[in-house]
Amino acid sequence: MSEIINSILLVDDENLFHLVFEDACSLLDITLDLRSLMSADEAANMFEKWQKGSADKPECVFVDLNIIGSSFDGIELVRKINYEYGNGVVIGIISSSSDQQEVGKAIQAGAQFWIVKSDDIEPRLEEFRKDYNGYKNRTAPFKLYQ
Amino acid sequence: MKIAFLKEDVEKLIKLSKERNVFMEGNIIKLIDDQGNPEFAEYLEKAKQKDKDSRKMRLEVTKQVQQQNKELEAKAAENDQLMNDLKQALEKADAAKKAALNDLDLLQKRTQFELIGRIVEVALWIIMGVGVTTTLLYCIALFSGSVKDTTLLGNTWSNLFGILLTNSFSIIGTIMGVKYASGETSKKG
Repeated sequence: MSEIINSILLVDDENLFHLVFEDACSLLDITLDLRSLMSADEAANMFEKWQKGSADKPECVFVDLNIIGSSFDGIELVRKINYEYGNGVVIGIISSSSDQQEVGKAIQAGAQFWIVKSDDIEPRLEEFRKDYNGYKNRTAPFKLYQ
Repeated sequence: MKIAFLKEDVEKLIKLSKERNVFMEGNIIKLIDDQGNPEFAEYLEKAKQKDKDSRKMRLEVTKQVQQQNKELEAKAAENDQLMNDLKQALEKADAAKKAALNDLDLLQKRTQFELIGRIVEVALWIIMGVGVTTTLLYCIALFSGSVKDTTLLGNTWSNLFGILLTNSFSIIGTIMGVKYASGETSKKG
C-alpha cells in the first residue's frame, strides 16, 4: 500500500476540476490535505512566502498547463518553483493536452510528471501514487500518465 | 496521527447514527481512532462508506457538468463560427447587390446617352439637310433670276434658319437638362 501524500496543492483555473480532483483524491486515499488555487500568480506568491521557511508548504504540486487569467502559464510556474523558490517539492503538470513540445518544455522547467486530464482521471492518479515515492526521493524519471 | 474521542462522545455519535442516520463526513473520519470499540469501529466503517458513496456520486455529477460545459463551450465556438460565416456571407451579398445596382445604373445611363446621342445625331442631320436644301433652292432661285421666287425663298430661308436655330438650341437645352437630371438621380440612388 502506497503512503498518503501529506499535502497537495492544485493550481488550475477550472473550478469544476478542483471538485473532481478533490473527490478523486479522497476516494483513492491519496491525501488528507488538498488545497486548490485558481491562479499561477497566487501560487507563485505563496511559494515566495514559503521560501522563507514554513511548515505550511505543500509536499506535492499539480499545475495546469494553461491557467487563464494568470500572468504566466503552468510551465513557467513550475520553473519558478523549481529554480527561483527552490522548495524541493514534487511538482508536475496536469493538463488535457499532451503536446510533445510542451512536455519537453515542462521537463526542462523541472516537472517530474505529466498527467493527462480526462473523464477517467482516477486510474492515472492511482498509478501516480504508486510512483510517488520515486518522485519524492528524486529517483523516478519523468513520466507521462495518459 | 489518530484522534481519540471521549467515551461519552463516541456513545453520542453512535446514538445519533442509530436514531437519525446522521454520520460524520469528510477526510476527518480517516483520522479517528476506534479505540478497540467494535461498535465505534463499525460506525466509522459505515461513515467512511457513506462518505465514499456521496463523493462517488458528487464526482459523477461534477464530471457530467464538466462534460456538459465542454460541450456548451464547443457549441458556443461553433455558433460564433456560424455567425462569422453568416456575417461574411451577408457582407458579400451586400457588396454584390451594390455592384449589380451600380452596373444597372451604368447600363441605364449608357442606354439613355446612346438614345440621346442618336436623337441629337438625327436632329442635326435633319437641321443640316433642311438648311442645305433651302440654301440650295435659294441659290438656284438667285442665279435663275426669278425675283418672285427669290423673294419667297429668301423669306422662307430666313424664317427656316430662325426656326432651325431655335430648335437646335432647344435640342441642346433638352440634352443638357437630361444629362443634369440623370446625374442628380445617380447621386441620390
